[in-house]
Amino acid sequence: MNAPEKYSPLVRWPAKVNEIPKEVFFREDVYQLELENIFYGPEWHPVAHTGELPNKGDFKTINVGERPILVVRGDDGDIRTFYNACAHRGNLLETRVSGNAVEFECPYHRWLFDLRGELRGAPGDDDFSPSYRKEDFGLPAIRSAEFMGLIFVTCSDETPELDEYLGRVKDALAITFNGDGRLKLLGYQKVLYDVNWKAYVDNDGYHAPLLHAAFKLLDWQGGKGEQYSTKNGHIGFESELKVPKDTGFLKDPTLLQFKGTASSKGSAIASTFPITVITKHMDMINIRFAFPRGVGQTEVHYGYYCHEDDDDEMVQHRIRQSSNMLGPTGLVSMEDASIFHRIHVGNHTPGNVTFQKGVKHEDRIWYDFKQNDEAGNLPRWEHYRQSLGFNREEA
Amino acid sequence: MSNLSIEILSALDNAQNGYINSLDTKNMDGWLANYTTDGSYICIAAENEANNLPIALMLDDCYARLQDRVTYVTKVWAGTFEDYQTRHFTQRIGAEAVGNDTYKVITNYHILFTPEQGQTNVLVTGHYQDEIVLGDTALFKSKKAVMDTNVSPRYIVYPV
Ligand code: FES
Ligand SMILES: [Fe+2]
Repeated sequence: MNAPEKYSPLVRWPAKVNEIPKEVFFREDVYQLELENIFYGPEWHPVAHTGELPNKGDFKTINVGERPILVVRGDDGDIRTFYNACAHRGNLLETRVSGNAVEFECPYHRWLFDLRGELRGAPGDDDFSPSYRKEDFGLPAIRSAEFMGLIFVTCSDETPELDEYLGRVKDALAITFNGDGRLKLLGYQKVLYDVNWKAYVDNDGYHAPLLHAAFKLLDWQGGKGEQYSTKNGHIGFESELKVPKDTGFLKDPTLLQFKGTASSKGSAIASTFPITVITKHMDMINIRFAFPRGVGQTEVHYGYYCHEDDDDEMVQHRIRQSSNMLGPTGLVSMEDASIFHRIHVGNHTPGNVTFQKGVKHEDRIWYDFKQNDEAGNLPRWEHYRQSLGFNREEA
Repeated sequence: MSNLSIEILSALDNAQNGYINSLDTKNMDGWLANYTTDGSYICIAAENEANNLPIALMLDDCYARLQDRVTYVTKVWAGTFEDYQTRHFTQRIGAEAVGNDTYKVITNYHILFTPEQGQTNVLVTGHYQDEIVLGDTALFKSKKAVMDTNVSPRYIVYPV
């Protein structure tokens, strides 16, 4: 029997590098392949910043793809990462999103794990299988690595070392983390967008200046800057800091002040493959932990931070700015959020999405871009296409 | 349990009804008119509130910020978002006098939203912590909307 064409595992990938087939935004079979090859494949995924887990016993739960992850600071001060599933029958071990624990007990059959993930006790184990040994049943660990306090995990043994993996985008990351990554958590804004994860990330780091009336009303031109991509799909933006002028448009212009020191100047965006966007704009330090909730939804946790050396005034300023400028209710980003929904609906039509601004070549990929070029997304799409094994059509 | 008179409780409820009606009719100037000139508005996720994390979704800690929120909705964002109709449902669950004609009031809220295509869903649910001043007109000296909905189902344009 011939399967209907829409269930074909093959995606017709257009010959031009600036065209993306819309079917990848809604096909369930493509999504399953993405989970396998990308989210559980040889990629690193940010899951926490050490500033979120300052004390021994602090933990956080989050997803990589659809896999639940537990990040814990142990009694020895080390941060470890596990699958958030009991080593016995796989029950979700910790249901809270964050907190402080002295141990983790699974309520189902009362297996007890310590903060290092070791199994401490399992009631009735004299009756367990002949080969059962307590030391074999610690929490399932997941490989992790750290860059300036940002903790990444990968489900694959084949993922290159983190340093090599991040490549040049480390420069943009270092700016976003104030040069050293000594951050403290200020809080989260969390939202579930009705959008496929790829359309979310296509439209998040990259900025469409025409969309935002605030820039015009505040006479706020972006500073000079550059955009670059890596072969494995990361994007970095670095630009000089430009503070909006006080045009009298806002009654409270203090919100738009820059209070950072000279050394912390500069705006940066680091977008790491597949889905994480990390930014520093003015005095806002923002990590957007994100994961797909099925093919049609993306959950984003906007984490905001201050620096350990900030005085009280600076902390208060960061809180005000972060709470009113970015995220799903932010002055300069609510519009981005509303675009996500519309793009996802629009992508259910036939044909290809086309990138135009800054597209210098149609037959090959390049890696340096102007600041507002939408073409900066193309190396990520190329890495995506190769990760899924889709062949490009002949020109 | 509140030992306030029926007249006072009724005045407090009228203030809350006026507030939610201004939002459900998208009347942002009317929303601003609910506040005293030293008023403040905060909308924050319960998760942050419980963990002493100060980041809010909306943080209007002075009257100028309240005025700017009117500008955000009516001037900056106008025409860029897919509009939606809200319906706020509230229930007062506690009220106490704190002096100077001022009352602390706790009120549960439940907000449904209906975008232009017409399917209705829950936007957020939570509770208000308010300070209401009963003078010639009842006004909010402060309003804090704590959202149980830590993960909101979309962008939020109008105050909660
Ligand atoms: S599933 Fe956790 S103890 Fe049995
Ligand atoms: Fe934007």
